[in-house]
Amino acid sequence: MNRRSILILLMATFILRQATAQEQPTKGIGLQEVRVDGSLYKQTEVGAMTVDKLTADSIQKYQAGSLMQTLSRLPGVHAIGIGANQSKPQVRGLGFNRVATVENGIKHEGQQWGLDHGLEIDQFSVGTAEIIKGAASFMYGSDAIGGVIRLSPPAELPHDGFKGTLNLLAKSNNATLGGSLQLQGRRKNWVFGGGFTYLDYGDYRVPTDTVHVYNYPVRLKNGYVRNTAGRERHFQLRGGYLGDRFSSMLYLSNYHTHAGFFANAHGLEPRGVDTALYDRSHRDILFPSQRIDHFKLLNRNTFTLGSHQVDIDLGYQRNYRREYNHYTAHGYMPPVYPDTMRIPIQLERLYDKHIYTLAARDQFGLGSHRLTIGINSEYQHNTISGWSFLIPAFRQKALGLFIYDRYPINAHTTLYGALRYDFSQINSDLYRDWFASQLENQPDQYLVRAQQLKRNFNSLVWSLGMATQAGSWETKLTVGKSFRLPSAQELAANGVNYHYFSYEKGNASLSPEQSYQVDFSLAWRPERLSIAFTPFFNYFSNYIYLNPTAGYDQYYGAGNQIFEYAESKVRRYGAELRLEYRPLARWKIELLADYIRSEQLSGAKKGYTLPFSPAPSALLDLSWMPKNSLYFKESYFSLDCKWTARQSSVVPPEEQTQGYQLVNFRAGTQLQICRSNIQLRLQVLNIFDRKYMEHTSFYRLIALPEQGRNVILSMGIPLGRM
Amino acid sequence: MRTLTKYAIAALMLSTVTGCKKDKENIDTEKPQIDISWGSAFPKQCSEVKRGTSFTFRARLSDNVALGSYSLNVHHNFDHHSHSTEVEECPLDPVKTPVAPFVYVKAVNISGQPRQYDAQLDIEVPATVDPGNYHFMIQVTDQSGWSLQKGISIRIVE
Repeated sequence: MNRRSILILLMATFILRQATAQEQPTKGIGLQEVRVDGSLYKQTEVGAMTVDKLTADSIQKYQAGSLMQTLSRLPGVHAIGIGANQSKPQVRGLGFNRVATVENGIKHEGQQWGLDHGLEIDQFSVGTAEIIKGAASFMYGSDAIGGVIRLSPPAELPHDGFKGTLNLLAKSNNATLGGSLQLQGRRKNWVFGGGFTYLDYGDYRVPTDTVHVYNYPVRLKNGYVRNTAGRERHFQLRGGYLGDRFSSMLYLSNYHTHAGFFANAHGLEPRGVDTALYDRSHRDILFPSQRIDHFKLLNRNTFTLGSHQVDIDLGYQRNYRREYNHYTAHGYMPPVYPDTMRIPIQLERLYDKHIYTLAARDQFGLGSHRLTIGINSEYQHNTISGWSFLIPAFRQKALGLFIYDRYPINAHTTLYGALRYDFSQINSDLYRDWFASQLENQPDQYLVRAQQLKRNFNSLVWSLGMATQAGSWETKLTVGKSFRLPSAQELAANGVNYHYFSYEKGNASLSPEQSYQVDFSLAWRPERLSIAFTPFFNYFSNYIYLNPTAGYDQYYGAGNQIFEYAESKVRRYGAELRLEYRPLARWKIELLADYIRSEQLSGAKKGYTLPFSPAPSALLDLSWMPKNSLYFKESYFSLDCKWTARQSSVVPPEEQTQGYQLVNFRAGTQLQICRSNIQLRLQVLNIFDRKYMEHTSFYRLIALPEQGRNVILSMGIPLGRM
Repeated sequence: MRTLTKYAIAALMLSTVTGCKKDKENIDTEKPQIDISWGSAFPKQCSEVKRGTSFTFRARLSDNVALGSYSLNVHHNFDHHSHSTEVEECPLDPVKTPVAPFVYVKAVNISGQPRQYDAQLDIEVPATVDPGNYHFMIQVTDQSGWSLQKGISIRIVE
């Protein structure tokens, strides 16, 4: 009998024992970690949508390498991971530019399009994370077509005081050492807060000694993924005035990461490396590497004028991203980097993006209707540099006008409606190669890769919803139309992406993406039990995707396969199930499951799925929360068992991914020493050091398994007084 | 309220059932293949070609449905930047700086969508190029967009 069967038997025994037990549960013990309770959102515009909410406490309890990896425990939420500490969000199978991340009310603008670009958010700074599943274009405009990750800082202190937490963190798999200091205080109506996070990690380890980068075998010394070490340094400051009729807050933050990429495959192009040099230290960061700085300065204001509540938000962000690598001559690039070049020899790509945001809205009552009217506007300025070209520099303007209505028809039922109009304009620049290509029977030429381009887009979207609550039953239904603007790379890319041996070709005539979606939620929450079933159906009348064609391009593509941006019709459906049952006061069983299926209904890939389609999965968790004792409070022990099915539905150039089973263990307590509560947490992820691949991982194509066993220890030391 | 819930569940189950109804098309899930193991295939792992002459590339390409196109790329490996897809390792010269390395890029469309195709192409190696270690990369696609790469180490000799 293997370990897995023993474990399943053990769990089954526990469940049966608990189910037959007769003890009455005591209410309010332990944390209800993820709230999907509709009453929480009834008064907001997302009242008819499926929202999952996680607090800082749960984020720390489940903390993985990056925010999205932490959140991906939730059903319907996945991370498109790039190694151990970078990932981007995916909600119900849609990711990249199809999920908007909103921090402090303002859309986070990074390089959402890039496969190897993670989300630039410090996990320690997040007070609450809400995941809005389903199309939310009516609220956040383009990009919110698949869902929204909404992040807020910790709630301000209710009374005068000053408190803080020092968190220390260590992880075994990639020898992470780090910590975060978070402080906040209040004096009358004046509040302030802030934090500083530092993380230092080495190369991560996988349970294998060889990976096949395409067909090129690469040996890994002791399972170390060469050159994936990194360092992170983030800070946030906030402060302002919170009054009854007027509030104004200022948020200042900077996120900084310097991290390496797997040296043998960047992109996924196999690279032979000097293994002696690369394997000398597991903590050094050699080439290829990236440095990212994301700076934010936001100002949020709220006024109450009679029955009107007016919000005005202003924002400036800068996303400054540099990718370093040894100069590599691809195609007709000169074999030796010319010393006349002004671009530094190590700078493969640079993206510098400045974003200015202005949003205003007014909420007021009109009879029984609660109306909100508002405006969102954004200006982006994107510049590029580096000897490698993928997308041109561009500028983008966007203006959105919206109206929402919330109308309670009786004590149980509320109707929601929204209408939004968006106008946007994208202007991209001409780009010409800095090197000459050899053309057949023609003189050598400096090829023009991107023509100057100007496109205007108009969009009208709507949403209708209904939420009812009767006793322990709750239903929600939302029907709506969403849109997404074609991005600069979809319109104007024209370069070789060595990640995929692909020559990516934009299409200047693409139309905005259009999607129709029906989201339903049925929840039943009697005592001790909470079940939520949330199916959805989604039809894209126009979906933009990167289509690998049968052709190769000799000049622009240096002999690589042509991947062309194209449009197709897509049908998607799926559902999530969450169940939380407390058979006994101190025991909890949790079941989280999701299923997503996509199919292209037209175009060159008719019959195929969409890329990065997550495989169905189910997670069973058993938790025990022992009674508080003199020294230990709020203790917990939890065992997670996650089954992920095989993903056999793939689209070129993807590979099928085997199913797998993972077991994770978590424990924590508040240790009472000297009148302070020290929070101790332990996580053992992938207990059995299972070799598995995640279909949504960036490194899936090169068959690089996910992290092996990882023991994570963290300690939270409270500071100050309240 | 209860009636509404009931109807909603019924509608949902119906949609799930119709949604699951398999009208699955026959989609191609197999990659094309490159065969360089047969007798007159050239170059093979560690093959040598003489500069100032031409040689004929020969490989057998196949697919379960229909081939698309193939592409060749020859670039130097003077910096030992990469190895090949083949198990056998070839002897490498010491690292050196390229002066006039041989660069060859060629994309060829396979007409008629055959399932098997013997690719054959004359490649001229100018007398002025740097001799040494090179990579000879072959890529092939099928009509569905699946692709396969093969990287071979070759040597250009004087």
